[in-house]
Amino acid sequence: MLFGILLAAAVPLAAAVEFNRDIRPVLSDKCLACHGADAAAKKIRLRLDSEAAAKADLGGKRAVVEGRPEESELIRRVANANKALRMPPAHTGHSLSDAEIATLRQWIAEGARWEKHWSFLAPERPAPPAVSDAAWVRNPIDSFVLARLDKEGLKPRPEASKETMLRRVTLDLTGLPPSLAEIDAFLADRSPKAYERAVERLLGSQRYGERMAARWLDAARYADTNGYQFDGERVMWRWRDWVIDAFNRNQRFDRFVLEQLAGDMLPGATLDQKIATGFNRNHRANTEDGIIPEEYAVEYVVDRVETVSTVFLGLTLGCARCHNHKYDPFTQKEFYQVFAYFNNVPELGRAMKYGNSPPVVPAPTREQQALAAAVDAKTAAAEEFLAKREKEIRRGQRTWESKLEAGRWTPVEGLHKAFAAGETEARGAFDNDDRFSFSLTASSSRVPDGPLFSRMANGEKGKGYGLYFRQGRLHAHITNSFADDALRLDSEETFGAGERRIVFTYDGSRTAAGLNVYVDGKPVSKKVTQDTLYRPFRNAGAKFDEPFRVGLGGGKDQRFNGTVSGAAVHSRALSLEEAQAMAIAVDAAARKPEAERRPAESNALRRLYLDTAALPAVREGQRKLTALRQERETLERTFPTVMVMAERPVPKPAHVLIRGAYDKPGEAVQPGVPAILPPIPEGAPSNRLGFARWVIDPANPLLARVTVNRFWQMYFGTGLVKTVEDFGAQGEWPSHLELLDWLATEFVRTGWDVKNLQRLIVSSAAYRQSSAAAPELIRRDPENRLLARGPRVRLAPESIRDAALASSGLLHERLGGPSVKPYQPAGLWKELIMQDMDYVQSTGPGLYRRGLYTFWKRTVAPPMMLNFDAANREACVVRESRTNTPLQALNLMNDVTFVEAARFTAERMMKEAGASRDARLRHGFRLIVGRAPGAKEQEVLRDSLAWHLDYFATSGQAERFLAAGDSKRDASLDPRELAAYASVASLILNLDEAVTKE
Amino acid sequence: MTDISRRSLFNLATGGLGFTAAAHLLGAGANPPAHVGLPGLPHFAPKAKRVIYLFQHGAPSQLDLFDHKPDLAKLRGADLPASIRMGQRLTGMTAYQTKFPTAPSIFRFARHGPGGTWLSELLPHTAKVAGEIAVIRSMHTEAINHDPAVTFFQTGFQLAGRPSIGSWVSYGLGSDCQDLPAFVVFVSQGKGNSQALADRQWGSGFLPGKFQGVKFRAAADPVLYLSNPEGYSAQARRRYLDDLAKLNELKLADTQDPEIATRISQYEMAFQMQSSVPGLTDLSKEPESVFDMYGPDSRVPGTYAANCLLARRLAERGVRFIQLFHRGWDQHSGLPRGIRLQCEQTDQPSAALIQDLKNRGMLDDTLVVWGGEFGRTVYSQGELTATDYGRDHHPRCFSLWMAGGGIRGGLTYGSTDDFSYNVTEDAVDVHDLHATIMHCLGVDHTRLTFKFQGRHYRLTDVKGSVVKGLLA
Repeated sequence: MLFGILLAAAVPLAAAVEFNRDIRPVLSDKCLACHGADAAAKKIRLRLDSEAAAKADLGGKRAVVEGRPEESELIRRVANANKALRMPPAHTGHSLSDAEIATLRQWIAEGARWEKHWSFLAPERPAPPAVSDAAWVRNPIDSFVLARLDKEGLKPRPEASKETMLRRVTLDLTGLPPSLAEIDAFLADRSPKAYERAVERLLGSQRYGERMAARWLDAARYADTNGYQFDGERVMWRWRDWVIDAFNRNQRFDRFVLEQLAGDMLPGATLDQKIATGFNRNHRANTEDGIIPEEYAVEYVVDRVETVSTVFLGLTLGCARCHNHKYDPFTQKEFYQVFAYFNNVPELGRAMKYGNSPPVVPAPTREQQALAAAVDAKTAAAEEFLAKREKEIRRGQRTWESKLEAGRWTPVEGLHKAFAAGETEARGAFDNDDRFSFSLTASSSRVPDGPLFSRMANGEKGKGYGLYFRQGRLHAHITNSFADDALRLDSEETFGAGERRIVFTYDGSRTAAGLNVYVDGKPVSKKVTQDTLYRPFRNAGAKFDEPFRVGLGGGKDQRFNGTVSGAAVHSRALSLEEAQAMAIAVDAAARKPEAERRPAESNALRRLYLDTAALPAVREGQRKLTALRQERETLERTFPTVMVMAERPVPKPAHVLIRGAYDKPGEAVQPGVPAILPPIPEGAPSNRLGFARWVIDPANPLLARVTVNRFWQMYFGTGLVKTVEDFGAQGEWPSHLELLDWLATEFVRTGWDVKNLQRLIVSSAAYRQSSAAAPELIRRDPENRLLARGPRVRLAPESIRDAALASSGLLHERLGGPSVKPYQPAGLWKELIMQDMDYVQSTGPGLYRRGLYTFWKRTVAPPMMLNFDAANREACVVRESRTNTPLQALNLMNDVTFVEAARFTAERMMKEAGASRDARLRHGFRLIVGRAPGAKEQEVLRDSLAWHLDYFATSGQAERFLAAGDSKRDASLDPRELAAYASVASLILNLDEAVTKE
Repeated sequence: MTDISRRSLFNLATGGLGFTAAAHLLGAGANPPAHVGLPGLPHFAPKAKRVIYLFQHGAPSQLDLFDHKPDLAKLRGADLPASIRMGQRLTGMTAYQTKFPTAPSIFRFARHGPGGTWLSELLPHTAKVAGEIAVIRSMHTEAINHDPAVTFFQTGFQLAGRPSIGSWVSYGLGSDCQDLPAFVVFVSQGKGNSQALADRQWGSGFLPGKFQGVKFRAAADPVLYLSNPEGYSAQARRRYLDDLAKLNELKLADTQDPEIATRISQYEMAFQMQSSVPGLTDLSKEPESVFDMYGPDSRVPGTYAANCLLARRLAERGVRFIQLFHRGWDQHSGLPRGIRLQCEQTDQPSAALIQDLKNRGMLDDTLVVWGGEFGRTVYSQGELTATDYGRDHHPRCFSLWMAGGGIRGGLTYGSTDDFSYNVTEDAVDVHDLHATIMHCLGVDHTRLTFKFQGRHYRLTDVKGSVVKGLLA
């Protein structure tokens, strides 16, 4: 690799060889694939992954003989002139360079000192080193950076200009460019604390949380669809908003991690803590017909292990799924021990085709929570109103009871339809993800048989739902497709002739657990024969428009062999207490002395009295209460849900899976962590919560390092450890190990204070350097690993769009909420997908939200994001990637998003900057690039404007050009002039500098 | 290689020119160098310079097209013997079936070409080029559902995340073409049951994003965002790009960041694409005889036939990897009707592509691959009648053909048991197919690797052998 050579040239070997820096990478990359922890599987005796093994006597030969390179078999083999004997064998495609062989030789000659891999040792806080220029140092970061530059004989670059600095730090901390007002205020602020003040302002901005969250969403493989083939919609934005909020309120990072890993298991877990665990439900979920659910249930757990190990540990644990890790000291068994922590979720191997898959929680937003609280307060008041009239009510009820005729109580709340006697059909309602109930009285003089209530297409196996007697046994179902998309259950009990009150309740969960049937107030024992309902009716083929039928359904001649009466449908899931009360014959109950009544009897009488016979004021109070409960129910229906982690009461056994295959379980394993890392903290439980406590324990050598390194990457484009995803033996040696360790220990020392860490980095002199450099330096250090200049890095994909929207004034700065669908070329979804999921573009503000709110469909990701190297959201990605392609150029020049933004910028140029062309051009340039153009730049802009004025004056194309986008142009401006300014604004938006932080 | 693109590195590494000088050259309209491929590649003299991969998405039935089993007629309706099924897992769609009635193909087969290749009556045009193609009857795969199976064919692994084969090829070999992407994809709609596809099937996985396949669409913009905004002429764009380059050059002189030189050249390439792509996709200058060869559909943009013709035009321009996806082969029920419609759309254009390449002397250095992601079961899914049956997914054996650069034409390779259920001879798995494609391109599949998350990944994972028997 050319980079390696360039960097190696820049960083010559120190006199003494260091095992971790110089030797381990060579052994790991060139030898351990065969001579590593998995060697036994290949029947290879020599292992080079531990000191003892490498120095062991293997029948008179030793690979490494301390101090004696010529006696070391390792050297004999790697430097062997005979190709047949030389290691590594040619067929592996690996070979050692002369320099590598010389280094190995030197290392053995110097005593072959072995070290534990650096990242598995706890970081020790290094003292900042002495440097050549103490005045340059703004904080300890700079001591480490400058010490390295001193060693390399390099000098840091001077500080960047104020405008550059403000744009850099604003983009880094908020993902947006500074506004003109902010630039002007900053330039006017001559105090030495001006920069620090700006940093504090940015850290306090809500845009800060959005910016930080964007990268976290990549790591957490967040998306709005399930992925795989069918790729139906899911709802996880409440988790996304939790992340934004956590950054904005500067939640301690260890808590941030703990809650995402095991918030549900914390004592008295709050809604927010449960929502946080959505992190581990963001993985893809397969919903395809015909899959083998057990196979994918394993994939989900594997995904969690891989994601958690990458994000929190910087380890490639996933490599030990099928065999022992080839490079790092992790056994396959250890992989499955970690697997065991995440294997205990009560989830489906085949997920719901549309919507969220269990486990889920309703996750009302703050606003919704406030609305609910207001309703609850009113409800409490209404209840109190009735409670105060208890005596009066009792008196009235007694009088009423004495004259009571036969009848039953039916809840008024949520009553959707009450069938009149003899009425057998009514307009249908409710999909299978709605809550609903129905109730009826069935009477038969024979063994009851036939449909009681249904809403389904003709035919026994048709689409819809229904309740039947089948030779005395109750049968309930909700069906999309009889074979594989349905819930079905039977009662264990059988029933004979007679009359019964029957209630069917359903909570919309699309699980058999959410469907209950009560006979005379008693829940039947459910024998579930199918529990796989994946689609709402509206997404499953032909339109579903069947009526409710009483005593009929499921086939032409199907009818109940008795009578069905008193049928009613409710738009909610009735409760057990209600079902019990509904079964009560009120006249009989009324005849019992009050003390002898069962609770259901008392309840039925009281509810019936309040609903129908109490004094007007009380009835009004009761009506109000019912209305409030209904309001609460209606409100709850609007609550988004979010998929969360939960634990099965009885842990699911975990096994080593032989070669990683779901159907080849081997040895049973208990939860546990890799032996090379510190043990689970004392007193921590042996479950996911214990694992989470282990991850955040300061004894863990990895979490703080991996985290600060990822943040560093955000600022400098490359991590101090370039392989941000891999801190193992195959990872890259840190460019500044001591700096990394200092930052990691500082992060922990300050209570995992995330904002403080950002403040520290952006306040350093290293960060504040100019990014312009001499060609020699760029040639010597193309990736800026030595930090002899400031960062110059292309913006993140969403930031490119956000910045264009912001500078044009189009950006709609609303925090959080459901994902939106901005402009996208027509037909992109239709071309690839199979079902009725079309891209319905947002209107108005939804077109102009920040990119992290753009709806992310995994199989057809937003094209602009793909063009600009966004993480794919299929699996965890933490490494930032940037390429430079013609498709990006086309995107920026021609995508309606950017054409419309250019027009808006042009309007600002014409309206906000007076009449002079130069002033207007300068204004537009500043809006986008954050600085005034230089004289030569101004000249190019002026020429370009003149050319475009002429073009639009003569071509007659201005109106067409200005029509791009949903918004209307400002009709008060001359279209030809506006089109010319818009062209120049587009030109500025396309500048390298516009899409680059410099 | 992430932060600085290969090209800017190339500029750096070749040194010679100062950045500004290079930028001037580029700004003046000189062709930017196309991605040159990795040093040392190809590993040996290639037989094929490019690949056209005709992916039949949904899984065509081998039993009704290639794998002739005349003796099955006698067993019509009989339950599939357990000795054949051997407890092999079934999809959740037929796992509940209690009977597995043997469903012989209702289509007639005949031998064609010098090698006597068996083909069904559904492929009369393919029959005419039978001498050019090698039919592999012994393909098998590990996946049993569409998405993992397509992902496996495209990336060598069932779960999404690895680079697609076209990305590997363009990463390794670069492009021979200045103004078109190295890896181009087309998707066309069949008339049968269609399964979903995903952009990631031609994604670059952990390779840099520039190696991802670029989808050409039958829309006003064949490539996303290709057209200038309404009312903005090519002449205006030229002026715009000159001004843009001037400003970017000023910046380059100031900061010396080679990434700016790269950006200037990428804008130039974008401009070239703006003129080359419409010309490429404009078929109006093709002679009648060509449309006759590819069939009437070839006049209809977006069809498989039109895409086959475009594939030839791309091949002529040096595009490295061209992949067509044709949807609609998933005949769980109503197979006879469904497969007939699919073949009506695909047989003639596929054969025409072979013939057309041959006529132009390009078949020798163009590798053509035709096939789906798995096969279909011999037993009927759902009811078997005299004229109708369905077939479920079947990974254990299926057929695929290859032709052109490096492949021995007229060959039938491998065989299956009497039920086309298990491979009996010369098994070819997906990794072997990949290794063979790479071999034809002059690439040793074990030596084209990319280090990611500590591991040297390759298209063929840890497996794959070149199928020597297929080679010319």
